[in-house]
Amino acid sequence: MKSLFSLFFTIVFFHFSVLAQEEKTDTVKVSAQEQFDQLKAHNESVDEILLDMKSYLDLARKLKFSGYMQTQYQVSDGIGGGPYQIGSFSGGAFPTSVGSRFQVRRGRLKVQYENDLTFSQYVLQIDVTQNGLGIKDAYINIKDPWVKSWNLRMGVFDRPFGFEVAYSSNMRETPERSRMSQTLFPGERELGAMIEFAPELGNWTNYNLKLGVFNGVLPTANENDNRKDIIGRVGFMFPLEEQNISVDGGFSMYYGSVRNNSKFTYTFGESQKQFLVDSTTTNAGKNYGRQYLGVDAQIIYDIPSIGGISIRGEYNFGSQPGTSTANSFYNPAGTITPLYQRKFYGYYVSLLQNIGTKHQLLLRYDVLDPNSEIKGSDIGTIGTSTTLGDLKYNTFGIGYLFHLDDNVKFTFYYELVENETVNSATTNAALILYKSDVKDNVFTFRVQYRFPY
Amino acid sequence: MKKCIALFFLVTFSSSLFAGEVITVKGSDTMVILAQRWAEMYMKKNPNVTIQVTGGGSGTGISALINGTTDICNASRPMKPAEKQKLKLRFSTLGVEIKTAKDGIGIYVNEKNPVKELTVQQIRDIYTGKITNWKQVGGADSRIILYSRENNSGTYVYFKENVLDDEDYSPSCQNMPGTAALVNAISKDPNGIGYGGSAYAKGIREVPVKTDENAPAYFPNAENVKSGQYPITRFLFMYVKSKPTGAMKEYIDWILSEEGQNVVVKVGYFPLR
Repeated sequence: MKSLFSLFFTIVFFHFSVLAQEEKTDTVKVSAQEQFDQLKAHNESVDEILLDMKSYLDLARKLKFSGYMQTQYQVSDGIGGGPYQIGSFSGGAFPTSVGSRFQVRRGRLKVQYENDLTFSQYVLQIDVTQNGLGIKDAYINIKDPWVKSWNLRMGVFDRPFGFEVAYSSNMRETPERSRMSQTLFPGERELGAMIEFAPELGNWTNYNLKLGVFNGVLPTANENDNRKDIIGRVGFMFPLEEQNISVDGGFSMYYGSVRNNSKFTYTFGESQKQFLVDSTTTNAGKNYGRQYLGVDAQIIYDIPSIGGISIRGEYNFGSQPGTSTANSFYNPAGTITPLYQRKFYGYYVSLLQNIGTKHQLLLRYDVLDPNSEIKGSDIGTIGTSTTLGDLKYNTFGIGYLFHLDDNVKFTFYYELVENETVNSATTNAALILYKSDVKDNVFTFRVQYRFPY
Repeated sequence: MKKCIALFFLVTFSSSLFAGEVITVKGSDTMVILAQRWAEMYMKKNPNVTIQVTGGGSGTGISALINGTTDICNASRPMKPAEKQKLKLRFSTLGVEIKTAKDGIGIYVNEKNPVKELTVQQIRDIYTGKITNWKQVGGADSRIILYSRENNSGTYVYFKENVLDDEDYSPSCQNMPGTAALVNAISKDPNGIGYGGSAYAKGIREVPVKTDENAPAYFPNAENVKSGQYPITRFLFMYVKSKPTGAMKEYIDWILSEEGQNVVVKVGYFPLR
């Protein structure tokens, strides 16, 4: 009987323990299923978040911000605001009684949006300095979707002339462009449209062409006559990789005109060595040629174990309509002023030696003769109507650049500015000081910070 | 003041000219494993040399070379003329291109995908969105899910220029940040297709590729890549600013030596000779 009872209890106990275990297993199963469902839901929600983030990432890849800031300290051996100007071509004229200064020379911020599928690009670049806010670039680029070698650009952008005008200020080794480039192309940019041919594949990769039509006024100024200026450059590259040498260059052309808002037109009579005036009434409203031709070359040679050396040069000549005292282009938007037509030439030669990846040594010599038909010794002679606007300048620059990293660059640059000396007998008050070289040399210490471009 | 300036020049010159033998390598994600293996082996043999390897993509590596922040750039595509121009302006050099290995770009599908082979034209049509269903190329009746790389990838550029004939990728392409991520996505997606270096083809299947309908199809293996029978092959490059000298020259010479080329094979790519 006892054994029967014990068997009965054993069976009952076993039955309940099995039941309990099954219940426990079921609970574990339910719990695992719940965890799986939770993980799946979590995974799906992460996927949704990632999908949402991806759209922002795609946008971030197309939208690019870049910029650079150039802060500098300058000191001159003369004082600004006197009878002659200092630093006009070294970042702007020194103010009255000022011989040294701090400046935010450039504070650029560039926004670019690129659409890979349509090969279109939106570019806006602003410049913020102590003088305020200005627009630098504002253009649309559209690349041809077929051969991808042609490009249409419209808006405000660099004029396609020579090498230096379009060479970015954040890359350029000298603090400023040459006197010639600043005089012929103030602000570098212009409102217009341009076609560019620059193939990336095939036999034409070493050649490029840029041809544009522009208002022919200042960078962001409104058009002031009904004629457009044509600017173009044909470029070439001859890389000799085995010899570590490359020869690049181009030929440029500017074919434009300005409208005279006065009836007075002065042209220089080379034999008479003086300006001759034409005051025919119909001269008012008539257009006068602003025409330049130029040639530029950049030669590089990679010196083993030291670094690359580069020699760059550019020579431009042509005719420039200006005013009596200014040889920059004649702008009819101003007050009624007689037009002075001058023949000019200018050039620069620079030598840049890289030492390793961080150091660069630099020499540059630039010349601008705004009136190539007269010598300095004839300027200021009574009856010639010659002025400061006819003075030739030579500038010799020497510099050292140190690249701390890919963001920071230090520039030390000294410019010896030499003016042509005028006729020693001149009594013209504005010219008397120019009987000898005036004190207008400038030393610049610049720090540049650049973020991705 | 003069002493301060002299000291500044002395410190800045000496710090960069006489720095230790550290070589920085940056660029192609396709090449990052290969570059790491090269660096590890070389540093074992030459403990006085430190080689720092990072990826980021060929475009990123080329930008670093132009900015002077890397000594060597790894790239799975040749440098573009515009990039060479930037290098020329910054350093007055033309850059030096060094071919280091060969690669066959594999066409990846999920292991369950029944497609047996593809022509180059079919791959082009798939990636440009003209073929959208696996049924059109001998597979199941299901939508093709396209996986690609980011546009800073050399593989992306090479594939676009050489396989798509410079046509645009279909907008439905999902761009993955690296080949490993792309392989991972396809291993989980039975309808997925992707492309990448041979060394990454783990956990997915590579489809044999033929030049046209009548040609035989080939796998991207050593024999077929070397003979040129596999139609999607390319070189893997290194770029340096100037002709290499000193420690950098020794390192590059070693990469091109038999020992360095053996590493290429071990990682899954193909040697130059």
